[in-house]
Amino acid sequence: MSETTQPRLNDDAAAAWAVRLGEGALDREAQAELDAWLNEDPRRRGALLRAQAAWRLLDRAGEGHGAVPAPRRRPVLRFALGRRRLLAGGAAAIAASVAGVAVMVNMGARYGTALGEVRRVPLADGSLAAINTESVVDVALRKDERRVTLERGEAWFSVAKDKARPFVVAAGPVRVRAVGTAFSVRLHATGADVLVTEGVVEAWTEGAVAKKVRIAAGARAFISNAVGPTQPVESPQQIDRALAWRDGQIALEGETLAQAAAEFNRYNKKKLVIEDPELAGGTLVGWFHANEPEAFARAAAATLNARVVEDKDAIRLTRPPNVTGI
Amino acid sequence: MLPNRPAVIDWVALHVLPHEGKARAWLRRIMAPGQEPDDVIQDAYCRIATLESVEHIRNPRAYFFQTCRSIVLEHARRARVVRMETVTEFDALSILDEEPSPERVTAARQELSRVRRLIAALPERCRRIIEMRKIEGVPQREIAERLGVSERVVENDATRGLKLILKALEDDETRPAERRRERGQA
Repeated sequence: MSETTQPRLNDDAAAAWAVRLGEGALDREAQAELDAWLNEDPRRRGALLRAQAAWRLLDRAGEGHGAVPAPRRRPVLRFALGRRRLLAGGAAAIAASVAGVAVMVNMGARYGTALGEVRRVPLADGSLAAINTESVVDVALRKDERRVTLERGEAWFSVAKDKARPFVVAAGPVRVRAVGTAFSVRLHATGADVLVTEGVVEAWTEGAVAKKVRIAAGARAFISNAVGPTQPVESPQQIDRALAWRDGQIALEGETLAQAAAEFNRYNKKKLVIEDPELAGGTLVGWFHANEPEAFARAAAATLNARVVEDKDAIRLTRPPNVTGI
Repeated sequence: MLPNRPAVIDWVALHVLPHEGKARAWLRRIMAPGQEPDDVIQDAYCRIATLESVEHIRNPRAYFFQTCRSIVLEHARRARVVRMETVTEFDALSILDEEPSPERVTAARQELSRVRRLIAALPERCRRIIEMRKIEGVPQREIAERLGVSERVVENDATRGLKLILKALEDDETRPAERRRERGQA
């Protein structure tokens, strides 16, 4: 797309037409000539608009300083604020969890997250847990084993090395064991997803230890409750994106709007609803703040040529009644 | 084909053109190598040209950047290459839009003096013609008479002047050093 189009933006003819149009209405012959020129390439209309605007801009050179209208105060954009709010929330969560750890040392602890909350919890053995939205994690640090039970949801663990005490995450009947490594576990109704970011873990389903699988950094595997592990799949980039929630983000690369909406709805009370089934299949690229579904909806609407209608409990994406621009 | 609407032309002159250089510098940072910011800017103008009205746009600068951004994402989706900082960069830009209004007033004044500087930098006859037409409000026919040339010559010189100004508007003049550096790399 770069070779042939570049000169068109500053098109000689566009400047000439802008000057002529600035002198007033064209005669019929000139108008026909202009129409023919514009119709030859739809992008010329943009170049002409730019040239006309520049020609108009020059009128301002005749204006006095006082003639420049003072701009209105701009509305504060919500997604600029989102990150700050998120950081403040994260800091509060860490402070709260640190206080919790001080009391719970050697006693084990239970951590829960509310809808939309992501918590980072330092564990007493030096490990770190990041707990995703609507999750419950139970931590029991024993002499011979560090046992973490994922009762609900999803969590990522960066495990402190301790050969004498393996770190085992239980998710239903699924077990994931690590020595010193980092990985995440997400509990589903039929099994658990295991994503490894560092080192190696072993995973299996209770009662079928023989079908144990080793998952290395950059790979992921689904461990079924009924039939045990599936073959690990290597996809380091996909794993990075899948774990964007640790920074309060959702990463999309070609996911459909329907998939993206389901992902945002994991974090927010205000649900994204896709009113038009035709929109649901549109695909999206980018990183978004998980707790800013409104900002996401606006970006998606701009990209997919949709309209955002917001009410008390939902953000609805619909087709605009008539298509104008973006 | 419908002509460009006067309200849209005025709006672009006031709110889009002054930010074009910044948008181009931003695009150059976030787009993958080999992609051309001019293509995005051009597409953005094409889209704006199809707008029936601009009154509903409360933050024109953000709208312009948003338009560029959605074009980048569309290109990225088609080409399957994307730089992930795209969205983060956009967030940083929206923070700029929270600047307190006194600074924005200053920006408008700076813009006015920029326009005057652009005109002053034109070759002699271009400058004289554009000053007469735009500052003194002299009709084209009378400019031709005063200079003792044909109207056609006046029109050609005006066009030449406009082209030079369009070229100058491509740059973000608040950061000329960066622009030169990036050009050097390309």
